[in-house]
Amino acid sequence: MSTSKKIVIIPAYNEQGGIEKTVRDILEHAPDFDYVIINDCSTDRTLEVCQKNGFHVINLPVNLGIGGGVQTGYVYAWRNGYDVAVQFDGDGQHNARYLDAMADKLEKEQLDMVIGSRYIKKEGFQSSGIRRLGIRYFTTLIQLVTGQKITDPTSGMRMVSRDVIGLYAENYPKDYPEPESVVAILKKGKRVEELPVQMNAREEGVSSISPRKSVYYMIKVSLAILIAAVRR
Amino acid sequence: MSFKIQMIVAAIVLFALLYIANMVRRETLDIKFALPWLTVGAAVLVLDMFPGIMNYLVHLLGIELPVNMMFFFGFCFTLLLVFSLTVKVSRQSEQLKRLTQEIALLEEGMGKEKIKEGEVFKKKDES
Repeated sequence: MSTSKKIVIIPAYNEQGGIEKTVRDILEHAPDFDYVIINDCSTDRTLEVCQKNGFHVINLPVNLGIGGGVQTGYVYAWRNGYDVAVQFDGDGQHNARYLDAMADKLEKEQLDMVIGSRYIKKEGFQSSGIRRLGIRYFTTLIQLVTGQKITDPTSGMRMVSRDVIGLYAENYPKDYPEPESVVAILKKGKRVEELPVQMNAREEGVSSISPRKSVYYMIKVSLAILIAAVRR
Repeated sequence: MSFKIQMIVAAIVLFALLYIANMVRRETLDIKFALPWLTVGAAVLVLDMFPGIMNYLVHLLGIELPVNMMFFFGFCFTLLLVFSLTVKVSRQSEQLKRLTQEIALLEEGMGKEKIKEGEVFKKKDES
């Protein structure tokens, strides 16, 4: 295949149970990719697990939350000349066997982002009904403001081109960043497509979006999408 | 307003002003942040010493009671101050985020150099 430099960005907050499996999965199924773990000041033994295994880890001295963590990865990818970067959860939800296909699609179709979507083939873990409803709402909202249908806008499995690595290194939402950041690049005329993937139910850790926070989440992300839509 | 009340208010405000000025002197409070408070203190002091100004302003604005004007302006000032602080916190959280990221990236880079020099641990071979 091509000689482009590719990196997997693994944001990890308290993923002591899942991080090792995640890295092994990448090493085995996506050997063309470098990887970097962003340890977001975990309070469990995530860092020790990484060090014990000699994993490549960037250690944040204070907790930044998912947005600031992932962005650290994009800054790293930008400065180290990577052509392709992909976000990949550290909790075993994502499968590395799709990474090559995503990279192929990105390069062959000259795209700026390929999102791993659970909802094209509707196989594998589909999330709970109420969450699917919320995701469908975001799909509709994004389609309204950008004209493009993104079936899985909250997917944390997203591969981007060097252009977008630069944009995200510059500017990335702090919390609940996925839907908003897709709209931001669509508005800049970037090309986003999806690839059907299967995800697994979370084995370790808990979702960052508890029921109590979900109302705040819906309002914040809706507003963020609308603002991203009218930004420059 | 009785002379007694006037004096009590003046004493409290003067005490507060001196307290703030002393903090600035000891460099526990930056003058930039003390300035709005010193201004408000001075304004209250002036209004306290010369109640005529207040009566004139109240009349000018068509407000019934002087105390209502005080509450209104006090509220506006507080709102403005709190909002400006919100803006500052937002900017500082962005700066803090950047600093955190830079520190983490620097540390990662240093680790790499040490690995190159063979000082630290050998990276475990994955196979």
